[in-house]
Amino acid sequence: MAEHAPTLSNTAQATAVEGGRPLRQVKITHLLIYVVLGFGVFIAVAPFLWMVSTSVMTQGEALSGQTFPKEVQWQNYADAWEQSNFANYVRSSAVIALISVSGTVLFCTPAAYAFARMNFYGRNFLFALFLSTMMIPEAVTLIPNFLTVTWLGRISETVTESWLRPLNQGIAPETVAQINNVLNSLWLAPLDPAQPIGPLTWIDNWPALTIPFMASAFSIFMLRQFFAQIPDELWDAARIDGAGHLRFLVQIVVPISKAALTTVVLFAFIGSWNALSWPLIVTNTERWRPVSYGLSKFVTEAGPDMHLQMAGSVITIIPILVLYFFTQKQFTEGIATTGLKG
Amino acid sequence: MSTASASIPPSAEPRGLFASRQGRIIQENLTAYLFLLPASLIIFVFGIFPVGFALYVSLHKWRLVQGGFLGLENYSKAIDVLAYVGGFWLGIGAAVVAVVTLRRTLRGAQERAHSLLDLGIWLIPAVVTAAGAYLFVRFTVLWLPEILDVPNKMQGQQRTPELFMQLLGESFQMPEVSQAIGISLVTLVVGLGLAGFISRRRPSAHAGEYYVNLSLAVSAILVAVLVLSFTYIELERAYAEALAGGEEPPLWSQIVAISAGVVLMGLAWLVWKRVGGQSSNARTALIIMAAALLMAGGWILIGELPGVIAEGDKDLFQGFVVTVFYSVGTVPIQLAISLFLAYLLFQNIRGKAFFRVIYFLPYITPAVASAAVFRILFTNRPSGVMNRLITTFGMEPQKWIQEPRGVIEMLGTGAGVAIPEWLAGPSLALMVIIIYSIWTFIGYDTVVFLAGLGAIPGDLYEAAEVDGAGRWAVFRHITLPLLSPTTFFLSLIAIIGTFKAFNHIWVLRDTGALGTTDTVSVVIFLEFFRNSRLGYASAMAFVLFGVILSLTFVQNRIASKRVFYG
Repeated sequence: MAEHAPTLSNTAQATAVEGGRPLRQVKITHLLIYVVLGFGVFIAVAPFLWMVSTSVMTQGEALSGQTFPKEVQWQNYADAWEQSNFANYVRSSAVIALISVSGTVLFCTPAAYAFARMNFYGRNFLFALFLSTMMIPEAVTLIPNFLTVTWLGRISETVTESWLRPLNQGIAPETVAQINNVLNSLWLAPLDPAQPIGPLTWIDNWPALTIPFMASAFSIFMLRQFFAQIPDELWDAARIDGAGHLRFLVQIVVPISKAALTTVVLFAFIGSWNALSWPLIVTNTERWRPVSYGLSKFVTEAGPDMHLQMAGSVITIIPILVLYFFTQKQFTEGIATTGLKG
Repeated sequence: MSTASASIPPSAEPRGLFASRQGRIIQENLTAYLFLLPASLIIFVFGIFPVGFALYVSLHKWRLVQGGFLGLENYSKAIDVLAYVGGFWLGIGAAVVAVVTLRRTLRGAQERAHSLLDLGIWLIPAVVTAAGAYLFVRFTVLWLPEILDVPNKMQGQQRTPELFMQLLGESFQMPEVSQAIGISLVTLVVGLGLAGFISRRRPSAHAGEYYVNLSLAVSAILVAVLVLSFTYIELERAYAEALAGGEEPPLWSQIVAISAGVVLMGLAWLVWKRVGGQSSNARTALIIMAAALLMAGGWILIGELPGVIAEGDKDLFQGFVVTVFYSVGTVPIQLAISLFLAYLLFQNIRGKAFFRVIYFLPYITPAVASAAVFRILFTNRPSGVMNRLITTFGMEPQKWIQEPRGVIEMLGTGAGVAIPEWLAGPSLALMVIIIYSIWTFIGYDTVVFLAGLGAIPGDLYEAAEVDGAGRWAVFRHITLPLLSPTTFFLSLIAIIGTFKAFNHIWVLRDTGALGTTDTVSVVIFLEFFRNSRLGYASAMAFVLFGVILSLTFVQNRIASKRVFYG
């Protein structure tokens, strides 16, 4: 016993007995472990506590570097929400996340099922090809994808505009106003009074922000791993009952794969909520800019509104935090088993 | 999977078209493709196609719209003569891939006692298919500018779907394009037809393997020839241009020298690998030889690289330096701390789940938000949290995220020692980003390490305990080696992660830091976002991609020797 792991054995060193150690010794070692782990907890959590504390200070308190506010200023959150446009950012992020997560589930589930449980030509090749896309850095795909999305958007605009023209002409102005109201309340308004249903553009609109993320090799990979573990007997039973692949997938595989689907939803949601570089290049007005954009702009434009910036950070973090605490088991297990993140 | 289902009788009534066994196979294939269609479409359009498209963009002048063809000029602007070195090595790499594939296939055929003819006959469809693939790529390259131009052509006209379809059709009908697609499709069909014909005539379980492998090998040869000749032409052109400008750049000698340097270092690595199984005398000789090769290679490279750096893009090289600092600063510390924490958590203690949840928190929070917090913790105001903390220890308040000076330089100045510029180290601003990254990724690494620790069989520990091994000995000789796959995986992910990092650096970068925090990813993004130089930025992105791929390759090579799977 020439060397010891520093915190573990220093205390145990003196009277270390082979095999078991005396109870007191174990307790001291454990105490030390807890102290170290507790310090880790402090480091991990302190910035968040400080963030929350600062977010309810007055501007003066925040600037002078107080640790706690004299009086809690909930007003800061309302200010950040209203004045700094966070209402708009959170709305955009929520809609973007909703659309891209739904797309991910809808498109990746059948694909993963095909890879896991069906025989077809080129399966291994296609799977390897999909997986290899995870190696490609975003820096490479950013520019061509921007060009592609711009192109697709201009085509989509043309096509939808002419499809919608007769529809728009046939609607009375009052109906237009009504439709606009409904769309507005759904946060999806085209906001063009003359044209209730505007042509579908991509840049600076939801398609550019969501469609490229509706399928990812990572989600397919994760679901495939899970689907492949489903026992063959289930499939045999389903076939005897006359079910095909689609019915088997919808009625049996999906219901028993809730855990895997939850994990995929989580990763997709977090990926969408955190995206920054892509929204920076495909938006040019405030309308569809997500919360990560809003916050980064708010924070990097140096200003004295530290308290509001921190309130904005809290607003950005809360949805993820809520999701995380409800599903943290799946989450950490998902990471531990795949070791990957979307 | 479905092998088991084959024994099950088919469901009650046969369904017309797909009733036969053949029919069921076709049906299964069609269903599978249908299931895959939406996801494949998206992954292809936004995940695979962009790589080719980016390559295409990087060979052009491309501001907001496509400009003229530039060849390797974007690359040579970014990394000077290394562009040509890279081109040549890429070509040689493709040739190596071809040779390796051929040899492997040949050996497989020999093992199965197949005659050379059994294998060789597949060369015919393979060559045709590879040619077809090449012709298809050629068609894409010809067609791409036309189709990209369609929206511009629709400008100022009555924009209808009909017009779009018409323009799309017209882009096909361009004589070159229509010829290209025709030839490529015909060649591909002929190749597949030949393959089908041969597999009918000489049925074999390995027909598919031979066909695919040989097609790949022939394609790789094609790529090698194309890349090498393209690089050569580009090099000659650059040389001629320089001559016309009254210069005589030593391009060839530089290329040869740099390649020789790399080859020597590779040889050193090969010799070093041989050292293991030798007797002590041979061992010493080999080690000396490896060292000599390494020094020779390194000396040549050190002699050549400054010239390259001086000629290339300053921002890009600065970006690489910053990235290396960032990697070296974060990865080892992050792994060490998280291994330590995981080891502690793995002990028989209570509240494991609680600690795990909390440690994971920094990783899970949106990077923009937590980076925003760090931005304010490390503010340059004297009243900032970090500044107050260090002043209680009697230190001067710092500018933190606005400090462009290197930390070693600052320490030196503090101690009254003049530090040369090349030793200045990462800037204090970058240190803040390093601290942030360590703080963020510890939780992730800890969770993965915990899973790795859990996978180590318990009886090994028991055996060690019976043998009377101390805790440290157990850790050193059982835990660490058995954990090495996890460690390797995490270090790979972490290093690649530092090369891709963007969000938190974007939030934590400050103009006051004078670009000392801009990693390669950020430099590329700015080139695109601020300067709108799409072609040039794409070229830089490919340089980054090349670096990431070579890093992965080297790490894999090293790991295959050092990592214990088992």
